[in-house]
Amino acid sequence: MIRIWSHRPQFLHLGFFAAAYVLGCGFAQSLAIVPGTGISIWPPGGLLMATLILASRYSWPWWVLGGLLAELFSNVLWFHSPLPAAVLIYAGNALEAVAGAWLVIRICGRPVQLETLQEVLAFVVVGAGIAPVISATVGSATLAWFGIQSQSFTTAWPLWWIGDATGVLIVAPLALVVLQNWRGKAQLSAAQWIEACVLGLIFLGVAALSLSGYLPFAYIIMPPLLWAAVRFEFKGAAVSLTVLAVITALFTISGASQFAGDPESRKHNQVMLQLFLAVSAFSALIVAAISRQHQLAVLTLRQSVEELRDRERELSQLVNMVPVQIRRLTPAGEPTFFNKRLIDFFGLDVGDLDKPGMSRLAAIIQGLVHPDDAISLLETARHSFVTGESFSMKYRMRRADGAYRWVDGRGEPLRDQHGAIVQWYVISIEIDDEMRAQEALRDRERELSQLVDMVPSLLWRLSPEGEPTFFNKRLIKFLGLDMADADKPGMSRLAAIIEAAVHPDDAASLREALNHSFVTGERFSKTYRLRRADGVYRWVEGSAEPLLDESGRILQWYGLSHDIDDQLRVEEALRRSERQLQQLIDTVPVQIWCVTPGGEPAYINKTMMDYIGLKLEDFDAQQGLAGAIQTIVHPDDRIPLERALTHSFSTGEAFELKFRNRRWDGSYRWTEGRADPLRDESGRIIRWYGANVDIHDFVTSQEALRERERSLWELVETLPVMIDCAAPDGEPLYRSRQLREFLGYELEELDGTGKSRLAGTLDAGVHPDDVAGVKERYAYSLSTGEPYARKHRLRRFDGEYRWVDTRAAAMRNAEGAIVQWNVICLDIDGEVRAQGELRLAQESLARASQAASLAELSASIAHEVNQPLAAVVANSHACQRWLTAEPPNLERAQKTVERIIRDANAAADVVSRIRALFKQSVETRHATALDTVIADARDLTAEEAARRRVRMDVDVEINLPPVALDRVQIQQVLVNLIRNGMEAMDTITTDRVLRIRARRRGNAVETEISDLGRGVESPDKIFEPFFTTKAHGMGMGLAICRSIVESHGGRLWAEKNQPHGATFVFTLPDEVGAE
Amino acid sequence: MSKRRPVVAIVDDDPRLLESLEDLLESAGYAAHSFSSAGSLLISGLSGVDLLITDIGMPGMDGFELRDWVKKVRPELPVFLITGRHEIADQDRARGISGFFRKPFNAEVLLAAVDNALSNRNMEDDHES
Repeated sequence: MIRIWSHRPQFLHLGFFAAAYVLGCGFAQSLAIVPGTGISIWPPGGLLMATLILASRYSWPWWVLGGLLAELFSNVLWFHSPLPAAVLIYAGNALEAVAGAWLVIRICGRPVQLETLQEVLAFVVVGAGIAPVISATVGSATLAWFGIQSQSFTTAWPLWWIGDATGVLIVAPLALVVLQNWRGKAQLSAAQWIEACVLGLIFLGVAALSLSGYLPFAYIIMPPLLWAAVRFEFKGAAVSLTVLAVITALFTISGASQFAGDPESRKHNQVMLQLFLAVSAFSALIVAAISRQHQLAVLTLRQSVEELRDRERELSQLVNMVPVQIRRLTPAGEPTFFNKRLIDFFGLDVGDLDKPGMSRLAAIIQGLVHPDDAISLLETARHSFVTGESFSMKYRMRRADGAYRWVDGRGEPLRDQHGAIVQWYVISIEIDDEMRAQEALRDRERELSQLVDMVPSLLWRLSPEGEPTFFNKRLIKFLGLDMADADKPGMSRLAAIIEAAVHPDDAASLREALNHSFVTGERFSKTYRLRRADGVYRWVEGSAEPLLDESGRILQWYGLSHDIDDQLRVEEALRRSERQLQQLIDTVPVQIWCVTPGGEPAYINKTMMDYIGLKLEDFDAQQGLAGAIQTIVHPDDRIPLERALTHSFSTGEAFELKFRNRRWDGSYRWTEGRADPLRDESGRIIRWYGANVDIHDFVTSQEALRERERSLWELVETLPVMIDCAAPDGEPLYRSRQLREFLGYELEELDGTGKSRLAGTLDAGVHPDDVAGVKERYAYSLSTGEPYARKHRLRRFDGEYRWVDTRAAAMRNAEGAIVQWNVICLDIDGEVRAQGELRLAQESLARASQAASLAELSASIAHEVNQPLAAVVANSHACQRWLTAEPPNLERAQKTVERIIRDANAAADVVSRIRALFKQSVETRHATALDTVIADARDLTAEEAARRRVRMDVDVEINLPPVALDRVQIQQVLVNLIRNGMEAMDTITTDRVLRIRARRRGNAVETEISDLGRGVESPDKIFEPFFTTKAHGMGMGLAICRSIVESHGGRLWAEKNQPHGATFVFTLPDEVGAE
Repeated sequence: MSKRRPVVAIVDDDPRLLESLEDLLESAGYAAHSFSSAGSLLISGLSGVDLLITDIGMPGMDGFELRDWVKKVRPELPVFLITGRHEIADQDRARGISGFFRKPFNAEVLLAAVDNALSNRNMEDDHES
């Protein structure tokens, strides 16, 4: 209902429709010739049908409702039928119109223009033939049922049917024309207007004459009617029919018409009238339709010719405009037409190259085709002309400027319906640029192909489904197989290759990653092991990207596998190395730290953490570096440390400072901190790397060392020895204070004299008699490295030459090279002089010893005393005589007395000296090791033994107890006994051996001196004083020896030696025995 | 007594003894010639010497050797030996020799012996003449 409501037509239109309907009803009433039937031409049926044909189907109820109201209104005005009958009649009429409209629309389709014969016939048959059957049947039945005007069904039905049909035939076309062209402009030319006017006059004249009964035959109107239909088609037909209907109605009503007449013939007349109008309408409509169709055909033909002409022009333009060279040839192959492009290309037309005795084709090909292509082209073309096959060939044609250009030529035969060749069309397209581009493309493709094969990567391509479609050469070489080589039945190629070439541990994850990419289209990237041809699995990094078309569909997968095995191994090694470095950093006994350029702690190694007992996080919790310094640095060192660090951080200079650091145990220890900046390429500092080394032990030991050095230096400086250090070339480097003071000048004062320090010192200091020897020895030692030792005289600061003992030794390094000469110089002047005196004394002692034994020594003493005594005695006597002389010689006496005094004093001196000797002897009795006394005695007599060719065997028992003895006396005893033994062997010619033995015997030490001489005849007598067997002996020696030994509490005796010789034995009680 | 004083030569290596003997002999009226060694006497010669007093222990030629030499050259010349070493005087070769004195000698005895020796020599000279 809503749809129907929404298709409600404008009320104005509905109003006009209703008015027209009422007018139609009135017209029908007026033409109802047969009284009582009320049946006549029924224009409202045509109106309603035409309206429904034009209106949309959904608005039909409205029009039907409008028609109902209009007919009921007309019924009230004219028909006066009972309301149910009127409604029933209208229902029949409406049903007729609806059915007619529906069928016409169904057959002709919208819009219904009735312009073709088919449409008109359909309209006539359906709308005017079949549809009125409905209304006639319903209407006639209603009349019969209600008995209106006593009409029977059979009598009413034909009238009704023909009335409705005529109404439809006359009104519907008119209504269609009027309604469809309501706003359309009249498109009539002036000639048509004149024709229309002339036709109108003729039509009106003929209608008036024929219908008024003047002319007996109503159908005389047909020619003008058909004229109108032919010339003006539907409009003409519709207008003429309407006019005809109106005129007919007017004359019929007026009774002038031949259809008027007596009541008996009225029914017949009515039928005839209606038949007349129907035939007229039918004819006019048919003719109009035919005329219309003809007109349309003519119009269409004209348009087609016009279009063909346009098209031919276009084609001609096309033939000349398309960038294609076109020629037409006869079936035999002779060219007959060149298109403009071809003429422009060659610079000549088809006939310009004609030569006698040669076909035009051959002439053209020879003249205009590249010699290399001409023969083959000619052959190809001729072959085609003979066989009728089309041909295609690329060849070079000479352009007007003489340049040969590649073209693609194609020839096709044009055949007639019987298949015979009418002519040949040959086209050629310039493909020079394409050929060159293709060549470039081929080069490029070759390059790309080389690139693909040459890039040091493994490249591959997969289909969207993941099937391998390409491996590059390197990949094939790497794997040792191509895509297809791993194929296995029942397994995809990809799976087969993965199984063959991928490490079993990686295969599953690789497959999964690939499948993921295939499904999602995401980039593939994976690291896995690929089996090389030699069976070695190498790590590769595989990646693949999909190539997408414009719609985003995957066309291909392009993949690349890069051999990263070495890289991985390097990385592994790097990681290992890094781990080792980390371990190294953590285990080196150095505290390593790292701070940011701003000084914030960034890293400390394990050693440092262990050392300070803190972690990096602990610093962060304590305001970074400042907190760290506060925590771990000795209060006295904090400010210098902060200052040094700030300086380094601001200037970028390396940091170095010794400070005290607090160890985990709370003790402050000296630490040496160093740090250097790490810079990036632009020189900006990235990090500070520092190292702290605990140098506490070093510092303390250094201090101890310094202290020790100082004490050693003091030792060197204060030792009563002159010390000198010299370079390997002998140049003095250092002199101790003693030496400097001795020499009286500083080392530096030698410089700048033109001499070396050494030469300066030697020349200035060494005694002129010694300097040559000293220099020689120095040079020798310096050249050989042997120690130097020499005694010489050295000039002291006061000018005195003093004896010094200089010794030098080389100090060598580990390689044995001389680093320095160390020299000591001892002032031995006193010793040398004392030694000289000692030597003199020794010489005199030796002389004395040689001259006499101990007894002789005592005689010498007596002589010493007697000498001055003798002088005193003689002088005393002389003095007495000078005094007693007459006159006394006082002068001489005086002089003599002075000599007496002098000599007496000398004698007293001798005595006191002897006394002092004795006194010393008594008091100097000490516990002494006898072996040293024996060694002294031997040394004293060694020279004499050598002179006498005597060998001395000394055999002293070790660990002899000490003996209390007077060293000098016992020494005298030993010397005396040794000398006696040696003298006893003077006369023998065999070996002269003197044996000295000392050994412990009870509480005493027994000493034997035995010789191989002639022996002693009377061992008892020899100890008596003045007993001697020697030519020059006094016989006192052995007596004194015995007295000395006995005074020590010992015994001395002699024994015979077997087979010859004598043995003198003496004992000395040891300390225990002596007490 | 004659006008000429007898000449006595003295040889000793001890200058103190030479001085004292020279003084003693001069006080007794002799002319004394002192020599510090046998060698110097030999150089000087024995002419004019009436008596020789020599020490025994001396470096170089000792007193014994000098006496032996003199006895060969001038057997009649009296030679007195003196020594400070008593052990020499005790030796066999010194025993029984006239004119042998130990230091310290008795000056009176020495002078008497000198006087005696010179007298004997004069007598012998007279006898021979």
